[in-house]
Amino acid sequence: MAAKTPEQITDDLLRPLSGVSARYLTALAFLAGVIVAAFCAFGWQIYAGIGVAGIRRPVFWGFYITNFVFWIGLSHAGTLISAILRLANATWRRPVTRCAEVITVFALSIGATFPIIHLGKPWLAFWMIPYPSQRGIWPNVRSPLVWDFFAISTYLVSSVTFLLLPMLPDMALIRDRATGLRKKIYSVAALGWRGTSKQWHRLESAMQIMAVAVIPVAVSVHSIVSWDFAMAPVPMWHSTIFAPYFVAGAIFSGIAALIIAMALLRKFLHLEAYLLREHFENLGKLLLVMSLLWFYFVFAERLTVWYGNETPEMPVFWATLTGSYSPLFWIMVFCNFLLPFPILAIKKLRTITGTVIASSGVVIGMWLERFLIIVPSLSNKYLPYSFGSYRPTWVEITITAGTFAAMAVLYMLFAKTVPIISIWELKAAEHLAADRPPAWERVAQEGAD
Amino acid sequence: MVHQWGMVIDLDRCTGCEACVVACHAENNISTVGEDQAARGRAIHWIRVERYFEGEFPDVKTKFMPVLCQQCDAAPCEPVCPTFASYHTIEGLNGQVYNRCIGTRYCANACPYNVRFFNFYNPAWDKPLNLQLNPDVSVREVGVMEKCTFCVQRIKASEVQAAAEKRDVRDGEIQPACVQSCPTKAMVFGDLSDPHSEVSRLAHSNRATKLLGELGTLPKVTYLQRDSWHGGEDS
Amino acid sequence: MAAVNSIYGLFPGPDAAEQGMSALRAAGIAPEKIIIMSSEPFDRYHFTEADRKTAMPWLAAFGGLVGGICGFLLARYTQLAYPITVGNMPPVSPWPTAIVTYEMTMFGAVMTTIITLLITARLARRRPALYDPEISNGMVLIGVIDPSDAARADLDNRLRAAGAAQVKVTNLASR
Repeated sequence: MAAKTPEQITDDLLRPLSGVSARYLTALAFLAGVIVAAFCAFGWQIYAGIGVAGIRRPVFWGFYITNFVFWIGLSHAGTLISAILRLANATWRRPVTRCAEVITVFALSIGATFPIIHLGKPWLAFWMIPYPSQRGIWPNVRSPLVWDFFAISTYLVSSVTFLLLPMLPDMALIRDRATGLRKKIYSVAALGWRGTSKQWHRLESAMQIMAVAVIPVAVSVHSIVSWDFAMAPVPMWHSTIFAPYFVAGAIFSGIAALIIAMALLRKFLHLEAYLLREHFENLGKLLLVMSLLWFYFVFAERLTVWYGNETPEMPVFWATLTGSYSPLFWIMVFCNFLLPFPILAIKKLRTITGTVIASSGVVIGMWLERFLIIVPSLSNKYLPYSFGSYRPTWVEITITAGTFAAMAVLYMLFAKTVPIISIWELKAAEHLAADRPPAWERVAQEGAD
Repeated sequence: MVHQWGMVIDLDRCTGCEACVVACHAENNISTVGEDQAARGRAIHWIRVERYFEGEFPDVKTKFMPVLCQQCDAAPCEPVCPTFASYHTIEGLNGQVYNRCIGTRYCANACPYNVRFFNFYNPAWDKPLNLQLNPDVSVREVGVMEKCTFCVQRIKASEVQAAAEKRDVRDGEIQPACVQSCPTKAMVFGDLSDPHSEVSRLAHSNRATKLLGELGTLPKVTYLQRDSWHGGEDS
Repeated sequence: MAAVNSIYGLFPGPDAAEQGMSALRAAGIAPEKIIIMSSEPFDRYHFTEADRKTAMPWLAAFGGLVGGICGFLLARYTQLAYPITVGNMPPVSPWPTAIVTYEMTMFGAVMTTIITLLITARLARRRPALYDPEISNGMVLIGVIDPSDAARADLDNRLRAAGAAQVKVTNLASR
């Protein structure tokens, strides 16, 4: 494959925006159907009462909170890749940043719907917002759920900003080539971006500040989500390790989701010249590190529980290790560690296909991990007379499926309206590393995977 | 002097008859959820009698323990509620404000005693049980948490009566439904801040224990039992 | 910048743009009258030197401070407005107040950055400004805002000599 000129880059990356294939529309229609089913399930839940879900006493949180933590966790993809690699001046991040930032915004939006979906009275969800109400009462600042509101709002604003700011020059690019209604829409989207030297400097300053700001916000968000559990005196919830454990798990699942998204984009949008094996390898190495870190946290937590031998905690411990939840637990260990570790550690296996297999396992494993943190502890609280197990109903399963479909649909729609690889950043990379050939030229040397 | 309501339950007197459970249902408008929902774990019993068997045949001992909201002074259910639906009253009760509850169910997860109950559906009473509803107690709707209130309607009624008669509430004047219905007088209710009340006297007995006291919840229900549980463990 | 009068050259790449910039500086044009537009930042080149200094980080820090104060006041005074005892904790508990203060600090910093960017980069403005769509094709625009009539011809020659592929003039009538 010959080296790409800037014009070719622009053409390649703008090509997905023109026209839709039958395959795309079919997939979109199917996924939209799943989303409609999820809405119907939620509507049914409001109409018939939340009893149509599987939650019960004592397992008052089940699939919905699992999904909440899972999606918020997934949203840490963008932050890690975009912000940390941007600050580290790693040029290989450039084709990858927008894919990652998009995952963050959409996963966060989806995750943020669950504190509403899981409520007994969802129409009153706005009572968690601090506003001067006619009841004269404010939300309880001591509640971790109110911290959730602040943290998730801040993170949402930050990540949307982080996504939209570097999009402005690309919106301007499309505006200049579009006509008619499209031109008008993209003109609004570009906010009148002209590309003056001053605008570039200000944009870069803003991105630097955002990169520095969004990392502590992301860490705080998932710490606060973990404190939804750690603040309650529930066996194996009330653990100081939860905040770092959750943040590490979030980054872990985020990288896995990013690898999967990149692989799908590479295949369906024909971006083989831009999303190279090198990117998957680098992300694969990061995934390996996070897999080891995840295993470390799980081991450390469980070792402490086992060694402590405290009466309330041991039923939970054994339930997951050898008891009724053990099949899920060992599937989780396989998906999160035993499967990814050899694939990602052995260079020969760390291909694009290999990293995607490992990542798919991680996404499944991390969903199971959220489930296994929440449900076994609630099933086995202090008084054995009140122990109980949990089984989801079709309502919860449908809504869960709907969120995965929603993520796919949002991503598909985005990829058709905005170039999924940041065109200006990719072109700018060439002028930064004048001594190295640009990424698209190295394809000719290494060969596509 | 502000009252601090507390309760003492004598486990050596409890026969496990569950009259307290029935009385509580009657007094507090608690519906029965039906067989199907009960099997799915949605039954609501503000007070329940836990039954444990200890030992092997023929040395089996049965222990009954009525468990109700302990009205903890350091209640873990209170700080986690985002809308202040669960809060601590001046008189030491853990109040549940149904109108503030949006149903996050965080309080139920935080409660170590599992004494909080959720309305998964709108409660219903088959006729003619609807005629038996207590007008002093509200009926909760779907999506709202509920739990034992120490029959706060009876407390308020006695306090209002006493104030109208320009006197203090007498010890033993207030009896929640469970206390009133116990045939063996195993339950005693009163003002813990009054050192001369029967409940204060019994709370200092050498048989006194607290359920899950080691968690630091500062429960206001004291359990009297001659022997501690098997193995000397409290939980 | 409002589109008034200008004369500019479209250069085929950053290296040519450097020449164009040197030509304009040699002609004695003041830096604030020179306009540079491109489809990429070209950070490592000299012609983009101007206008780098910005107070944005300081403003963001200040915005964070304001946000933090707002968060502290929000956490503190809403709990004092209707004080309710929960879980043996004081109405204004330090740890949760710290968390809310922190989140509002970051929120303030982010919002300030956005607003500062919109204002200093002159984004989302109603007045039309100088622009040439050729920039999207990779050309770099180097030009002079409001040149004196006498200097026009001279600037035209200089820009062409420096390697401009096209030289264009704009005035009030054409945008």
